Amino acid sequence: MTGIAQKLASNQKQVAISEFFEKNKHFLGFDSLARSLITAVKEAVDNALDACEEARILPTIKIQITKVDAKKDIIRLVVEDNGPGIPQKSIEKVFGQLLFGSRFHAIRQSRGQQGIGITGVVMYCQLTTGRTTHVRSKIATEPTAAFVDIGLDTRKNKATKANAGREIWYNEDGTGKEHGTEVTAEMKAKYQKGRQSVWQYLRMTSIVNPHAEIIFVDPEGEKHHWTRVTERLPTKVESIKPHPHGIELGQLQRMIAESKDLNLNHFLLNNFSGVTNRARKELCQAAEVEGTRKMKSVKGDDIRSLLEAFQGERVFNGLPVKLLKPPTNCLSPIEEMLIKKGLSKTIDSRFVTTLTRVPSVTQGNPFQVEVGLIFGGGMLADKPVEVLRFANRVPLMYQQGGCLLTKAIESVDWRQYGLDQAGGKGVPKGPAAILVHLASTNVQFTSEAKEALADNAEVMEEARKAMLEMGRGLRKHLEKKKKMAKTREKFELINDILPAIAEKSAQILERPVPELSGSITKIMSAVISESTTVWNKETKETDVEIVLFNYTSRVRAYTILATWPEKSGATMERNETGGRKEALGVWAWKLDSLQPGERTSIKYSLGGLEKGDWTETEILFRGSQDVIGATKMDEKFLQEIRRQEQILDENDSSSPEAGDGKEETTPTVEVHKVATAEEQVEPTVAPPNGQRTLFGGDV
Amino acid sequence: MSRMRTPEETKAAMHEVVAEMYDRMVKGEPPTMTLPVRTKNNIGFDKKLGVYKYGKKQSIRDATSLGSAKQLLRALHVVEFIEEMLDAGKSSTLREMYYISEAWGMGKFGSQNDSNNLAEDLEIVTKCLREDFKLRPEEDGARMIGNLTLRERNRRGEWMRINARDDVGDSGYGVPYNVELEKIELLEHDIDFIMAIETGGMFDRLIENGFDEAYRCGLLHLKGQPARSTRRIMKRMSEEWDLPVVVFLDGDPWSFRIFASIAYGAIKTAHISEYLATPSATYLGITADDIVAYDLPSDDLSKKDIEALKAELTDPRFADSWWQEQINMMLELDKKAEQQSLAKYGLDFVTETYLPEKLAELGLA
Repeated sequence: MTGIAQKLASNQKQVAISEFFEKNKHFLGFDSLARSLITAVKEAVDNALDACEEARILPTIKIQITKVDAKKDIIRLVVEDNGPGIPQKSIEKVFGQLLFGSRFHAIRQSRGQQGIGITGVVMYCQLTTGRTTHVRSKIATEPTAAFVDIGLDTRKNKATKANAGREIWYNEDGTGKEHGTEVTAEMKAKYQKGRQSVWQYLRMTSIVNPHAEIIFVDPEGEKHHWTRVTERLPTKVESIKPHPHGIELGQLQRMIAESKDLNLNHFLLNNFSGVTNRARKELCQAAEVEGTRKMKSVKGDDIRSLLEAFQGERVFNGLPVKLLKPPTNCLSPIEEMLIKKGLSKTIDSRFVTTLTRVPSVTQGNPFQVEVGLIFGGGMLADKPVEVLRFANRVPLMYQQGGCLLTKAIESVDWRQYGLDQAGGKGVPKGPAAILVHLASTNVQFTSEAKEALADNAEVMEEARKAMLEMGRGLRKHLEKKKKMAKTREKFELINDILPAIAEKSAQILERPVPELSGSITKIMSAVISESTTVWNKETKETDVEIVLFNYTSRVRAYTILATWPEKSGATMERNETGGRKEALGVWAWKLDSLQPGERTSIKYSLGGLEKGDWTETEILFRGSQDVIGATKMDEKFLQEIRRQEQILDENDSSSPEAGDGKEETTPTVEVHKVATAEEQVEPTVAPPNGQRTLFGGDV
Repeated sequence: MSRMRTPEETKAAMHEVVAEMYDRMVKGEPPTMTLPVRTKNNIGFDKKLGVYKYGKKQSIRDATSLGSAKQLLRALHVVEFIEEMLDAGKSSTLREMYYISEAWGMGKFGSQNDSNNLAEDLEIVTKCLREDFKLRPEEDGARMIGNLTLRERNRRGEWMRINARDDVGDSGYGVPYNVELEKIELLEHDIDFIMAIETGGMFDRLIENGFDEAYRCGLLHLKGQPARSTRRIMKRMSEEWDLPVVVFLDGDPWSFRIFASIAYGAIKTAHISEYLATPSATYLGITADDIVAYDLPSDDLSKKDIEALKAELTDPRFADSWWQEQINMMLELDKKAEQQSLAKYGLDFVTETYLPEKLAELGLA
């Protein structure tokens, strides 16, 4: 790791911190007055979110910015959270000491990878206003809160503390605060509005932290409130050992030098992820280093050989040594449904689609890409779409153009998905916002400023795939909207206009009003589907109803498929029509005989969801005749779902070698026989439960 | 030569349209309305009448789409409305009908254009005139000046004798919307030909210069694309008085179209071309050669102009060699000119040089 931490640590002893700070403020995030304020907010809010996450507390964070001296650009920032609090003796360390804590060394996804930490803020305040930072913190087990002013002795490079004491911490409503931390800092800074502002930073933070409640009072006294939309905290992440693919020579040398393992065999098994006993043997053979060698004797060329074996340059039996992928439980994606909620609460729109790709690995580092697209509503149609970039849940606000995530958006020809894009290149235009989130144990930036992600083929590929899939979702939505309009028109025609024509013509001719069923069948000459997805307040479930009208003169047969959020933990309830699982998140019902003029309805409820989680059900069909209001099943789409499902299964399976014999678990899909003409519809003998499987066999 | 129908005949004709819809529904089919295709691809020259009429191509408007179904419903409302007017002895303007349709709920018109088109549809299918339907146009008729005398029945039912030179002011005689026999009778004249003029400016120029008296003609202001009544009165004067009609327009593709509708019949009203068109009318100018011959100030053709000219090349009404030559020449020149560009040579040039030269070619001066 060659991060800012190391640089800082090695420089620490030679130069005064203030001098170092001054020299490097551009990549510490304090290069302009406006950015300094954002950085300060960012450090404080990140700390609060991380602390709450660790302690499994739903965060409520209040940020207040006031102008102390407008002429001199002095601003006061107060950030208060409801986190676990910091014990009195630790306050000084957290706020006054650089590199406190272990987060710089642990291999797991964390916010704190990015930035110098809250100490930088203390330093900045000290250097620009000469003032100390006031900290107040209370832990649940103590009756009172501790407070202290933290400063920095720039000559001795040491934290100073003053005015320490204890007090009862009252909330605004007069009750006692249970736990939390409050930081009050005064600094030279400028409050700005717009795309690069504290407001935007908090708004973006709120999108990717839907479990947080964020309250912001701006210098004009206006209160911005981003509510909590889920009670679900992000998954607790585990730290993992490094993976051989991600190791550099220096790191390996250091690990070997510091190793207390018995011998090389133990070293390889104990310190790396993805190294099985088989792999351990093969690595040693490929590197031509005995596994029984003591660690002290593993030196120079041995280490280089080992590294070459790690990287597949030295081979075993003519092939690079096969390693397991690193575990991905060190990642905490936001998850599709929560991104959807985060986006929906922040941006007014008509359509949201989100996608969390399965975890993948680049150079031994697990990563996962998530995307979201929000379309329509109050957004401007003739402006480039808003790009919302995040790395490990931290908003990236600068250097948009140079960022890998932006490049992934630009690599897609959005015109085919219904957005404007000059020449099929660049950021598309349209009433939309696109969110990209990279969760990774090792986020690589283009520079120390940590605002743009560096190029990486695997990450790019994942992000691009996610965009394409999301684009298809958008296109489907737009097509569906068109189809729905068409369906509504047809219904207006047969329900309102045609009866009026019948009545009026009969009246003019003074004859009886004609019967219309024949005309209606001829006019519609189609099967029409309509679906509703509504939240049921009483049952706390999402009720779905799919209705099919056969407005043709023949008996029709179809397989109707519907999407449902299985991946997000939803359960299928009261599905009396039966059917069966077609693939992950796709349920199917076989309807053998829809009689002419008949209305058929499929009803079910989805449990395990919150209100607003699932608002639109996509209806697909298999069959020879078109169904208005439904999409013909794209078998490629199904294959992709099955593929993803398989990856998820593999990731879940604990037995590492299971992957080799996986074929037997994959169901063979029998090609579904489709009635090609009405005449071919044969009466199917239904099994007792009234359903046949799509795969030909009975349930 | 009025072809006005009695209210009963009109109703019977409309009931046939309604019956087509009704019978289809009884048979279990979507209701329909059958009418000729109203594009240039479906007009043909009627040798007997000497004008262009709709051909045999039919389009069936059926209620399988929302738009067509609404058109059918509107047609029924219009039929009902006309019957009410016939019964009450009233008439209304097309615009009034458009506003009245506000009360028709789902059968309400989307725009004034909708109601105009539907009235034309009904005329075509029933072979009635909109006068039979008691529907008046919004457009006003033309102005006329010259030594000709006619009789018009005013709104009190009295016949008034009017000489279009002596009994009118500088704006001339205003042609009413109904110029059929029961409203207008052509009495006598002392002119040699009728000149139809596109723009008001040129019409006034000729009057100021005393052209009507000097060249013994009747001047008729077309006001752009001429209203039905303007075309109808031209036709009547030409036939009843056996007078030549010359047409003096701007030199651009749109003027060519105006001429075609005067002489051969308009595409939109091809069902009644024999009542509106004046086959003997002659195009006087501005021609494409005039632009060169008189070195007239001109403008470049716009994209739309070029499209219009190209469409005219395949329009059967412009199929003869003179028109093909004129259209191709204009395309080649890539220029168009206005009537009033003649003022380049002074205010009297048009009456003293241009028109006498052009009329001489036709043997009228």
